[in-house]
Amino acid sequence: MLSTVNPPAKPQSYKTNVEIDWCPGCGDFGILNALVLALQELKIPNENVVLTGGIGCSSKIPHYVNVNTLHTLHGRSLAQAQAVKIANPRLEVISASGDGDGLGIGSAHFVAAGRRNVDMTYIVFDNGVYGLTKGQASPTLPYGEMPKSIETENLKFPVNPLFLGLASGFTFVARSYSYNIKHLKETLVKAMKHRGLALVDVMQPCVTYNNINTKEFYDPRLYDIEKEGWNPVANNESEYKQKIPQAVVKSLEWGDRIPMGVFMDYQTETYDQKLQKLVPAYGKKNYVMEPIESSGKPLNDVTELMDSFC
Amino acid sequence: MIHDLNLMVAGPQGSGINFTSDTFAKVMAREGYHVFTNAELFSTIKGEHSYFRVRVCKDMIRSYSERIDILIPLDAKSVMLHAKELSKDGSIIFEDSLEDPRHADIPYKEILQTVATKFGKALSELNVMKNTVALAGATKMIGLDKEKLKKVISENFASKPTIASMNNAIVDEVYSEFSPTRTFDLEPTTYKKRMFINSTHAVGMGKVEAGMKFQSYYPITPASDESNYLERVMERYDFVVEQTEDEIAAINMAVAAANTGLRSATSTSGPGFSLMVEALSYAGMTETPVVIFYYQRAGPATGMPTRHEQGDLKFALSAGHGEFPRVIIAPGDHKEAFYDTIEAFNIAEEYQLPVIVLLDKAMAMSNYTVDPFDLSKIRINRGKLVLSETNGYLRYKFEEDGVSPRSVPGIKGGLITIAGDEHDEDGHIFTEDADNRVKMMDKRMHKMESVLKAVNADTKVKFYGKPTNKKVIVSWGSSKGPILDVLDKLGEYSLLQIRMMEPFPVEEVMKFLKGKTIIAIEQNYTGQLADLLKEKTGLEVSSRIVKFNGRPFAFEEMVEVLSKSKLEKREVLTYA
Repeated sequence: MLSTVNPPAKPQSYKTNVEIDWCPGCGDFGILNALVLALQELKIPNENVVLTGGIGCSSKIPHYVNVNTLHTLHGRSLAQAQAVKIANPRLEVISASGDGDGLGIGSAHFVAAGRRNVDMTYIVFDNGVYGLTKGQASPTLPYGEMPKSIETENLKFPVNPLFLGLASGFTFVARSYSYNIKHLKETLVKAMKHRGLALVDVMQPCVTYNNINTKEFYDPRLYDIEKEGWNPVANNESEYKQKIPQAVVKSLEWGDRIPMGVFMDYQTETYDQKLQKLVPAYGKKNYVMEPIESSGKPLNDVTELMDSFC
Repeated sequence: MIHDLNLMVAGPQGSGINFTSDTFAKVMAREGYHVFTNAELFSTIKGEHSYFRVRVCKDMIRSYSERIDILIPLDAKSVMLHAKELSKDGSIIFEDSLEDPRHADIPYKEILQTVATKFGKALSELNVMKNTVALAGATKMIGLDKEKLKKVISENFASKPTIASMNNAIVDEVYSEFSPTRTFDLEPTTYKKRMFINSTHAVGMGKVEAGMKFQSYYPITPASDESNYLERVMERYDFVVEQTEDEIAAINMAVAAANTGLRSATSTSGPGFSLMVEALSYAGMTETPVVIFYYQRAGPATGMPTRHEQGDLKFALSAGHGEFPRVIIAPGDHKEAFYDTIEAFNIAEEYQLPVIVLLDKAMAMSNYTVDPFDLSKIRINRGKLVLSETNGYLRYKFEEDGVSPRSVPGIKGGLITIAGDEHDEDGHIFTEDADNRVKMMDKRMHKMESVLKAVNADTKVKFYGKPTNKKVIVSWGSSKGPILDVLDKLGEYSLLQIRMMEPFPVEEVMKFLKGKTIIAIEQNYTGQLADLLKEKTGLEVSSRIVKFNGRPFAFEEMVEVLSKSKLEKREVLTYA
């Protein structure tokens, strides 16, 4: 397939003209559309948004969104996204990747990200299979299941992204659904507005390889926990500690009823605030725009460091 | 009069050997002497036998000596292990009595008791200060003014004035109670201001001077000393050091921070670099200016984490799948490490590629005196960085020199698309067009020629000794130091230090080596530089002098091997 050179099309458009190579009917389309709608609603200038992807079908999404994009390595979307935000806290940073990318090969970064609480959003395209390599079992595929693409039933227990997100310290944890664009868009807007690390786990059917977790599977099961009275907001540490176990119990629900919505929304110190404890000037100037030289001469002077060794 | 003095502090790790030897070294450096130290320790926190050597001389020294003049053993095991290395005119400073005529009998107990009483402390509380007794004993035998030792002690304990006073009272007591039977009359020198540093400090200062704003690392010996040093100064110079969950995150974060527009680096050692390899390939493909500081240690696998080796040259050269441009610079001393660090960031940004600075454990853990760096020479070149509004921007635009203008997030009209898949000029990946592939490969690989043309000759190779000498040693990294020390004595040899390993400076190397008898000296099993030399130039070395027991070259073993009338094809040095 050919791409058009220099895609930015219409002014303020958040979509590129790059031809999309997902399968017809793929759940990824819903996430792309919801993300573009969310960006339109928030009206963040394109140049101030960075979207990173890992490797896999879903991780190609950076090419379809007209912002700065880093198409990284398999499993490294979240690691790179955090560094972008640390390097320039003025940017709106979104990381996207599949459940295999984020919870299999990249799971160390997932857990460590929770420990930092960088102010950014991480979207998991959760479909239970490795689509781009023809449908092998991925970390969220339930135990004992055997979608048509795999040779034997799945012998591993699934990772629960919400439970792991809560346990790791993500301060905003939500689930949405790629065929409910309105809910997904609203969830993404909330996630981006949240000050801290937000996880949005999106139920995203793979129409080609996963014939179990389909639209027909999800439609009758998904229900909105907030509509049933759950208030995810924790205003302080004690509320947070009190709500965490309840949120965990809700995250474990799976079967005839599958909960979606925001499970946790807790605002606490973000990583940029924490970094200011070590480097008080951090974030006050934009490191990217701050010159480090003047006519080629360095602006830093290590004389004082040299003297400390004399 | 003696020309150089060698002091060893040996004992269980955690007993203050490092502190004792460093204090001594600093006092001597303040006197204007050149000081060279070598640390040999176990990969453990406490208990295992370790030792530090300090060599002092009025002339420049770059290696340790096998000879010990003053031995400070902190336990009986150290007496057993090292007394045999002590020269016959040497002296052992040890708490208990020894049936050795070289024993310097300092009344430890009485001295400590006097000071304990004076400060109203129990004698047991002063046990940790026994090292100060030994230190003062050593400086008294050298004839050093006790006030100079006391000054350094006061600085060491600046935040604990009582401890400083107690230690200094011990110094006073030793100077009044101890009458040495042996003394060491070191050739005098004149004061010159010098730093007492290792390469982790030199690299750290280089990074600050270069304007680095982001460093990521995962703890590993011996590289993390550098990151820890940077953590101590980041508040003052306003940058971020990020400790990551693993080395994979470390390199990926450095790459992302570089693509966000910051001068970024990561520091590691062999096992960590192994984990970074995929992202190194990514940095090559995405034309990311990231700098990796690679402190080699004895491998393979976990190997000997605290011991020295130059065993990763071929790995650094070939790490990463696919073919992509990279630059590898190998400094040979702390001074070079400082300037090379800055040069590495310049090359990375000018040519938009990964640069590896290849160091080693001997450089990371050997403190020695270095003249203050000349900051007036330093230049920063950020290449084609775009930091103002632009239009029609293409991250991978084809340009004659293969280097595209580099925008970063936040620049109006300068949206970037970075991709590790093969991509078009716009960074999008939905082409596997054969012609585009060829053009993109040419674009990236062409940078190697550009770097080779642009980099100055001193960054590529350095030649020492008479150009007319028939025999030329080729070497690299910290092996340079011991070789240069010997070169001063054995005039028939010259040294060609190869500093840029990739792209390999064939022209400069040929200029110095053509028609010569070539001897390779390096600290690995196979002679990796000798192999590289043959691969790149066709030149064969006549002898490979190697050492791979985890310890750096000693001065004497280097003299001995190079004094041989005929060198074997392979000479293995083993001094420990």
